[in-house]
Amino acid sequence: MNESSRTTLQKKRWLTDPKIVPYVFIAPFLIFFLVIYLYPFISTILMSFQKIDGPGSVEWIGTKNYEKMWNRNFKQALATTFRYAFWDVVVLTIVPLIFAVILNSSSVKFPAFFKSVFFIPALTSIIVVGIVFRLAFGTLATAPANRVLALFGQPPKDWLMFADTGNFVLVLLTLWRWMGVNIIYYISGLQAIPTDLYEAAKIDGANSVQQFFHISLPGIKPVLIYVITITVLGGFAMFTESVALWAQNNPGGVGRTIVGYMYLMGFYKNNMGMASAVGLVLLGLVLAVNLLQLIAMGFFRKED
Amino acid sequence: MKYSNRIDGKRQRVKTFLATALMFVTAALLMVPFYFMFLSSLKPGTEMLRNGLSLTFDPGVSSFKNYEALNTYRDGIYWHWYKSSLIIMLLQTVIGLVLSSMVGYGLAMYRFKGRNAVFTLVLILMMVPFEILLLPLYRMLIKVHLTDTYFGVILPYLVPPFMIFFFRQYVLGLPKELLEAARIDGCSDYGVFFRIMVPNMIPAYGAMTILSCMNSWNNLLWPLIVLNTNEKFTIPIGMGTTITPYGNAFDVLMPGAVMAVVPIIIVYLFAQKTFIAGLTSGSVKG
Amino acid sequence: MKKLLAIFLAVAMLVSLGITAFADGEEPIHLTLWTFQELHTQLYKEMLDKWNANPDNPKLDIDMQVYPYEDMHNKLTIALQTGEGAPDIVDIEINMFANYLKGDIQLADLNDIVEPLEDHLVMSRFNNYAKDGKFYGIDHHIGACIVWYNTEILEEAGIDYHDIKTWDDYHEAGKVVLEKTGKPMCTWESKDCWSIYPLVNQHGGDWLTPDNEVRMDEQVVIDTLAFMKSMLDDGTAVACPGGNHHSEEYYGWMNGGNCASVSMPFWYLNRFTDYMPDLAGKMKVAPMPLWPDGGHKSAQMGGTGTAVVKTSPNVDIAKEWLAYATLSFEGSVNTWLILGFDPIMTDVYGSEEMKAPNKFFDYYEDDTIFDMLKTILDDIPDTCLTEYFPAAADIVRNQMAYDLVIGGGDPAEIAHNCAEELRDQIM
Repeated sequence: MNESSRTTLQKKRWLTDPKIVPYVFIAPFLIFFLVIYLYPFISTILMSFQKIDGPGSVEWIGTKNYEKMWNRNFKQALATTFRYAFWDVVVLTIVPLIFAVILNSSSVKFPAFFKSVFFIPALTSIIVVGIVFRLAFGTLATAPANRVLALFGQPPKDWLMFADTGNFVLVLLTLWRWMGVNIIYYISGLQAIPTDLYEAAKIDGANSVQQFFHISLPGIKPVLIYVITITVLGGFAMFTESVALWAQNNPGGVGRTIVGYMYLMGFYKNNMGMASAVGLVLLGLVLAVNLLQLIAMGFFRKED
Repeated sequence: MKYSNRIDGKRQRVKTFLATALMFVTAALLMVPFYFMFLSSLKPGTEMLRNGLSLTFDPGVSSFKNYEALNTYRDGIYWHWYKSSLIIMLLQTVIGLVLSSMVGYGLAMYRFKGRNAVFTLVLILMMVPFEILLLPLYRMLIKVHLTDTYFGVILPYLVPPFMIFFFRQYVLGLPKELLEAARIDGCSDYGVFFRIMVPNMIPAYGAMTILSCMNSWNNLLWPLIVLNTNEKFTIPIGMGTTITPYGNAFDVLMPGAVMAVVPIIIVYLFAQKTFIAGLTSGSVKG
Repeated sequence: MKKLLAIFLAVAMLVSLGITAFADGEEPIHLTLWTFQELHTQLYKEMLDKWNANPDNPKLDIDMQVYPYEDMHNKLTIALQTGEGAPDIVDIEINMFANYLKGDIQLADLNDIVEPLEDHLVMSRFNNYAKDGKFYGIDHHIGACIVWYNTEILEEAGIDYHDIKTWDDYHEAGKVVLEKTGKPMCTWESKDCWSIYPLVNQHGGDWLTPDNEVRMDEQVVIDTLAFMKSMLDDGTAVACPGGNHHSEEYYGWMNGGNCASVSMPFWYLNRFTDYMPDLAGKMKVAPMPLWPDGGHKSAQMGGTGTAVVKTSPNVDIAKEWLAYATLSFEGSVNTWLILGFDPIMTDVYGSEEMKAPNKFFDYYEDDTIFDMLKTILDDIPDTCLTEYFPAAADIVRNQMAYDLVIGGGDPAEIAHNCAEELRDQIM
């Protein structure tokens, strides 16, 4: 055996060593994190303790950014975000699940067609989406939403100008835009459930609802955890949709989320240090909420 | 016996009708904005403003002239944007799928030291608002001379944490017997992954292909920071330039937005077909 | 319009020929220019061609990149912050400008090109982009606030808009219009600053002093808000549909002939030509009504400061070209002909060149617009854009306008609350 083939053999052994194998699989992420994200991460944390007025004028100000953060605007953004995130999570986990189960059952004709139609909103240019929703939920009595109200004898509303109706429109927009995406997640999970389980259940006389709670739901639990987690994240980090409806405006305190506030600070007011601090607080918040949710779902209890 | 079958059949038909009707109504409602966008793309921009959210087709003012204008608007720059978006989407999706499925599988299948720490890191990275990393990320990009390149655009998305998380969850949901059987077969760990697990993860690949393509296609902020040449812009950046404080080019925006939907729909139909085909031939059911 | 396009294309072709032509002889100097406004590149291209056509000028090749509006500023912030990737010349929106005057200023001062022309320019426009006596930006327009009247509605009510001299006249006329036609005289924005700020500024008020003292709760602000509220109370003014004069809903509603007038800066003119075509021939422009208790003839609002980046290797030539493109007589005339703006060079007002037909004149069927503007140019106050202006503007848009127009609150209380909010942010 010559030297080089021995080293390849050694290498092979090394690569297939059961202790090493898992690390080979996760290596892409570790390398990716260390090379690309570690520096920005640390840098951002440092920036949150700085006042940055441009290149060369960086000043260490301790925790001042964090102290100054707790003002009226931030509190308002926090309230807006929580209100939106709550409804977003409720609506965007349940509705797509119902649709996914129906679409995945054999009860619907042309399921492929419907799935693609439900997905189209996610592809529609957000600028156009903004125009459509602003016109649909306009101020005037002739705006479509107000015409619908008139059918029920209700007076017209200035939808986007008040926190409650504005939030309603926002949740509706997100539901419209993201329902199809969550359906895709759910369906991919539902498809991994062996069909014989359903057949066996049918023979045992289980109805659709029973099948849902005893087979579908447990079967997609990991995917459900995933969907809830990213929906919580999406809810707290929402920005694009509110910009589509309100741009930089914040009528009645409904248009500005935490990320919107971060933008205002970082770019509109060119205060990157403060923006970093806000971003880190948001990260902490999302982590905390998700942690609670994951614990509640038994995520850390056993091996799933 | 026969009688109950007939009832079952009837019940089934009612169920099918109700379910299909529900889907149909929902689909129709969901398509309203898109339909409006399509109608508007056929009309001059002033027409859209004059009539508000009108859903009636008006043959008098409608034509495909705006679509032709896509070819002439700023010397046909729209199609450059289109090409850039496609290249970025393709690169980002292929690389992201391969790498993150490995990591997700590794996290789900093995118990090893530091696993929870790594997984927590994945979650943190997924949740950190990208906007606060912009400045240092860009600083780094300059150092490695990747500004104004497509690779610079996909760099932060090589191993997307949300994909890792999804693949991990997906593998956890697979029937346990399948995995154990594969191991006993005497395959190497890598063999198990490539020959047995990958085919079983096809629905997950399908979903993630669609999602990754969509994310890349809609991404605005980072490509905008990285790219400097107008011809290299992606569609969302390009569409953004049509809306300005001093006037909006609705005539370009609307047909541009309609055309932008096409590639992802193709990806979607393709991915759907693949993962449905994958399922019938795969071993999940057997 | 087609003709214009044909000329434009021909010129563009000539330029490309020109570029290849001087490639053999003299290597052109390459510059990069960023803008968020595609229309501006039409002016720049025109002026670049003219520049290169003069054999005495060093040949220039300017790479003009158009970005989405807000995102261009984000990108510029990042580029200046990292000291890498910034262009040579850049259009910066007026509300964002103060951000780039913080700390170690990354823009080149333009005093050497501006000061020689001082007597020919509306200098108050330069103060918006200045710090410590140095000018950093050149604006494309004055943005003088004027009033557009829908003469069809006014005639129905038997009112001649020429008779409206003061805001009180305006209010009285509004009452007649409302009574005779059932339509409001005007709209106030509920989520933007284009109603409140011009009126306050014309009245003699502002949000800040140059030393960042807050002026938001001065009596003049309260009086202005009170006037606006009085019009809201009797229905002569209504909340703007869609919240501001730039919303799709407003364009359609206004275009339908539902409101007698609107007060906006001059550059709003292309919104009429582009989005409210049905009002062609019906709209006439006039100076803002005056405040009975003093103040000014107009106010200057909005704008884009074109700046040169200090780190550019070609600062001098970039400045020289910029001066030619924006501060020359031809450049100023083209600002009107191509962009439809009111130029900052006073020499062109009333000149024959400015009466050449274009789509804006066609819309109004009136070529005396600039004679009218000339009468108000001498009395336009400065606006005070300190580094806290973005914060002030944000409060006006989202708190003051909202509380006044939607909330219907007490003017003094609103002014007081907003001022306190701004003071909090400055501290």
